[in-house]
Amino acid sequence: MTKAIEIESFSYTYPDGTPALSGVSLSVEHGEKLVLIGPNGAGKSTLLLVMAGFLRGTGKVRIDGLEVNRANLKKIRASLGSCLENPEDQLFMPRLFDDVAFGPINMGLEPEEVTKRVTDALETVGLAGMGERAPHHLSAGQKRAAAIATILSMAPKIITLDEPEGSLDPRHRKNLVELLKTLPQTLVIATCNMNFAAALAERVVLVDDGRIIADGDPKKIMWDSRLMAEHGLEVPGSM
Amino acid sequence: MHHAYIDKFAYQDSAIHRLDSRVKFIVVVVFTAVVISLPRTSLSILACYAVGPFAVLVWAGIPLRFAFKQVLLVCPFVLVLALSCPFYDRTPLAVAFGPWVWDVTVGWMRCFVILGKFVVTMLALIALVSTTRFNDLLVGLRWLGMPRILVVQLGFLYRYIFVLIDRAHHILRARAGRKLRNLGFKRELSIAAAMLGSLFVRSIDTAEHINVAMQARGFDGTWKTLSRLRVRPADYVFASAAMFFVFGLYFFLKPALQ
Repeated sequence: MTKAIEIESFSYTYPDGTPALSGVSLSVEHGEKLVLIGPNGAGKSTLLLVMAGFLRGTGKVRIDGLEVNRANLKKIRASLGSCLENPEDQLFMPRLFDDVAFGPINMGLEPEEVTKRVTDALETVGLAGMGERAPHHLSAGQKRAAAIATILSMAPKIITLDEPEGSLDPRHRKNLVELLKTLPQTLVIATCNMNFAAALAERVVLVDDGRIIADGDPKKIMWDSRLMAEHGLEVPGSM
Repeated sequence: MHHAYIDKFAYQDSAIHRLDSRVKFIVVVVFTAVVISLPRTSLSILACYAVGPFAVLVWAGIPLRFAFKQVLLVCPFVLVLALSCPFYDRTPLAVAFGPWVWDVTVGWMRCFVILGKFVVTMLALIALVSTTRFNDLLVGLRWLGMPRILVVQLGFLYRYIFVLIDRAHHILRARAGRKLRNLGFKRELSIAAAMLGSLFVRSIDTAEHINVAMQARGFDGTWKTLSRLRVRPADYVFASAAMFFVFGLYFFLKPALQ
């Protein structure tokens, strides 16, 4: 059976010559909830962009069995949904309904199916009946939820989220954790918030300086105070 | 951050709000064209035309105070034009209203008419924007033949102008927090240029992120949305009443008032 994500010895260097990822190998099973942790500038966001086929380097990347290349991009983006760090960038349409419908329409679905998917996605994230609202009329928590709805409406098998808890208050963060826990998809979440990571992770991958430092059981990695301190992180609940 | 959104009343519900955006847009365009074509020395006919947008604003529950505030915001541009009229045309003119007669000049009369036309047409435009969701307006404009690229640009402008304003506010606040003395005109100018540069770079950054978000959701260069516009009997009634009002005044009342 194919894996959700397979990355083999992948390296990527920014156009200015700065190495971003060096020899990264990673394999993610379907349905797994994996959290990428690491300090700022470790390469977490770059790795998520590589998975979605936005950055090309050396090495192999396969998403749901498909090699990431120009010919497969359309299929890959239908099966892997990327949620960006800033919801303002994710929500670019004047009306929430159109934002959530943007992906399904581009997938060529029938209008009835698009409407159904939009309604379902908004309901899943707790924004039922708010499709007519303009994104700039939503609160920070609602924007984050709406950004996730734009991905859910495409019914992808895999979802990547970049710092999804950023700028959320504890109540909205808790709601987000509950929502993400209920999603059946494979989740790859990049964060440097250890409490958030601990609440969600089934598996943790510690990234620093463009390399994978540790990969495995969250309890073993995240509660290793020396390892965490070495990479500018903290043990969950230590703040 | 909270903004004085121009469309903040567009999400209300009233008979006017429920009308098709294309019908409202066409009515406002016709109304504006007719008002602009009125003689430059007739104020009384303008007063009659003003009833239209006032009625729509009141019917739709849009506070008149809000509408006049919006008019005031953009009036400086027209004020300059209107106030220049009395200087170049001083031909005497007698204005009568019932038993009263005033001696003015054609220049002053033109000044008042320009201001009057501006206020009346602006009120019509505000009535349109305040009773129509911007997205519906864009879909309507597209349906009426506006180029797709222009509609998309307008959509992005509406979506991101507030984000840009927020960023500008944040930068200004950061500057105010650290500026503890007067730095002189030249230094202030260079700081302002740096701030504008920072805004520009952030805008490019945002544009790149939006591009990523669009491509991640299968965007292939063709803009597609689900159109929901539908002309109903109420739209025909409104359009007929509006046309009767606009052209009725023009053909029957205008000759009588001149």
